[in-house]
Amino acid sequence: MQDIKVEEIIVQGLPTGRGMAIGEVFLLDIKQKTIAPKSIKASSINTHKKKFLEAKVRFLNDLDKMGRELNDPGSAEIIDTQRQIIKDPEIEKSAFEIIEHKLLSVDFAVYQTLCQFIERLKESGSELFRQRIVDLEDIRDRFISIIQNNQSTRPVKKGSIIITSEISPTDLVSFYENGIAGLVMDKGGVTSHAAIIAQSLGIPCVVSTKKAVKEAANCKNVIVDGSTGQVFFNPAKERINEYRKKLSELNKVIKKASNDDDVFETLDGFPFRLMANIEFEAELPKVKEFGAQGVGLLRTESLLFGKRLKKSTEEQVAFYSNIIETIEGPLTIRLFDVGGDKVSVHPIKEANPFLGWRGIRMLLDEKELLRNQLRAILKVAGHFPGKIKFLVPMISVLEEVHEIREEIESMQSQLLSEGEKIDENIPLGLMVEVPSVALSAFQFAKEVDFFSMGTNDLTQYTMAADRGNEHICELFQHHHPSVLRMIKLTVEGADKADIEVCACGELAGEEIGAACLLGLGVRELSMTPHSIPKIKDLLSSRTKKDFENFVSKAIEASTSKEVEQIFNTWKND
Amino acid sequence: MIKKKITILNSAGLHARPSAALVKLASKFKADFYIHSLGYRVNGKSILGVMTLAAEQGAKLELELDGPDEKEAMKAITNLVQGKFGAEDE
Repeated sequence: MQDIKVEEIIVQGLPTGRGMAIGEVFLLDIKQKTIAPKSIKASSINTHKKKFLEAKVRFLNDLDKMGRELNDPGSAEIIDTQRQIIKDPEIEKSAFEIIEHKLLSVDFAVYQTLCQFIERLKESGSELFRQRIVDLEDIRDRFISIIQNNQSTRPVKKGSIIITSEISPTDLVSFYENGIAGLVMDKGGVTSHAAIIAQSLGIPCVVSTKKAVKEAANCKNVIVDGSTGQVFFNPAKERINEYRKKLSELNKVIKKASNDDDVFETLDGFPFRLMANIEFEAELPKVKEFGAQGVGLLRTESLLFGKRLKKSTEEQVAFYSNIIETIEGPLTIRLFDVGGDKVSVHPIKEANPFLGWRGIRMLLDEKELLRNQLRAILKVAGHFPGKIKFLVPMISVLEEVHEIREEIESMQSQLLSEGEKIDENIPLGLMVEVPSVALSAFQFAKEVDFFSMGTNDLTQYTMAADRGNEHICELFQHHHPSVLRMIKLTVEGADKADIEVCACGELAGEEIGAACLLGLGVRELSMTPHSIPKIKDLLSSRTKKDFENFVSKAIEASTSKEVEQIFNTWKND
Repeated sequence: MIKKKITILNSAGLHARPSAALVKLASKFKADFYIHSLGYRVNGKSILGVMTLAAEQGAKLELELDGPDEKEAMKAITNLVQGKFGAEDE
């Protein structure tokens, strides 16, 4: 076989968790830079024209398919505009002219045609219209990639591994439904949105590879190892065998853990709860498969994809009802946490979006958006009393708590007056992610029913390191002793006020973090469903005292490295 | 051939979505449709042509229609523009 002669290429990225996959390369390289003009013979003019028409039909079909998958009016409108652009008679006219009169190839003809329009928009000097340039560039690049890949089958093959510079969560979910086996992303950090969703769906994923797209160009097969961050293009025969073995062992471990009896307590009987973090209905089967005891964090931002900030109450009711009906156990719904890393739906441009108008800060200004969501959640809660909890993101001062409580109460009385059922005691919790809350935990705890520690943002704000920025993601250290101290302060404040405290960041789903949290007395950990078996194994194999001993040492450490060393020594004890 | 001057009223101007609506409507008619603005003349049935006019709110355009159904076309297009493309202003 020829493949074996091709040299193996190893690309190192950042691991996002466990899981590995062997599969075919599916290169999602939509960012083409420039296309060089290629001369053609007069005899192939018609072939090139035909190629153009075929690509156009295929592009339109792709959009139709996408339209059916993203079946909401906001996306439909965007897709409809794209269809209009592709069908634009001026594109065909100009492309045909270039092919016929300049005798240049079809891909260059499309490139030059769209570049001309892009240039004209640039010249217009209108800020509003400049934004459209990105859309046109996107269409240009997709058009060309369709022309160039004309032979290969466009729909992704089951079991292939996506290699891309970046990917939107929505696209990722649609690829997942088509059966992809892995994801390699050149950009983004471990906690970038796409990486989190990949973990949640159980897709092995490596991020921040920087040059995977480049290396993948002529490769057929690839192995992605989500636990080491390694990506092997053209894997050698021995490598494939090694990974086949690892894969079958891993599958055994997962089977065993999820078949275990439902013992959720430490060796000495201290009970804990392991919950799932989810965002999409597509993730629901995983909640059950990995034995989560409920959903500890339902992210709701996906309801806003496609710039639909006015998502109706009815659609939200259907979404929340479906989830609460499908899962066993309670459901914590986090209000829209828009901003920062979800810039695409962010209506304003900010110099520091992570320190800006997001979470509760935005919701209290956008009353219609807030009230629609409160109404939907409270309506569903009325039908499932005692099962749904509210979680408010990005609280930094107490006034925000008062204001949101008033909003909830007034919506409750409005629903009552309309004859709806309500859950009078629906618990209100806040996300502890801003240091100002952790440092004054008791004062906040007195005013709410529970705390949920968002350790990703808490880490980001404690370390002043943007979690999505690949240049500094090394500074984003969840194990840093300062982060652990923030958590300790939060738990102490919650204990003093006698409220529940849980953790829902990525820290909860990895061994060091989970050990620290349990040692500090946090009984409820919510994580990507995939991590549950591993964490359950660890937490049920030791005594509570054991975890306390570990954390008391870890918290005295000076660096993240030291914390990790203390853990390794402790674990092998 | 008939001509008419109109002003863009909606706040977003002739950006992607309104352009798409305009082109879609114009394409239903047989008449050739051109838009004149600031010395440019673009094909009104080409969304890229319309978009590259970069006509913002307040921009003055001249519509040119030529064909058997030019009168109906002019009426429909004028209604669309004056009705702010049926969009709620956000």
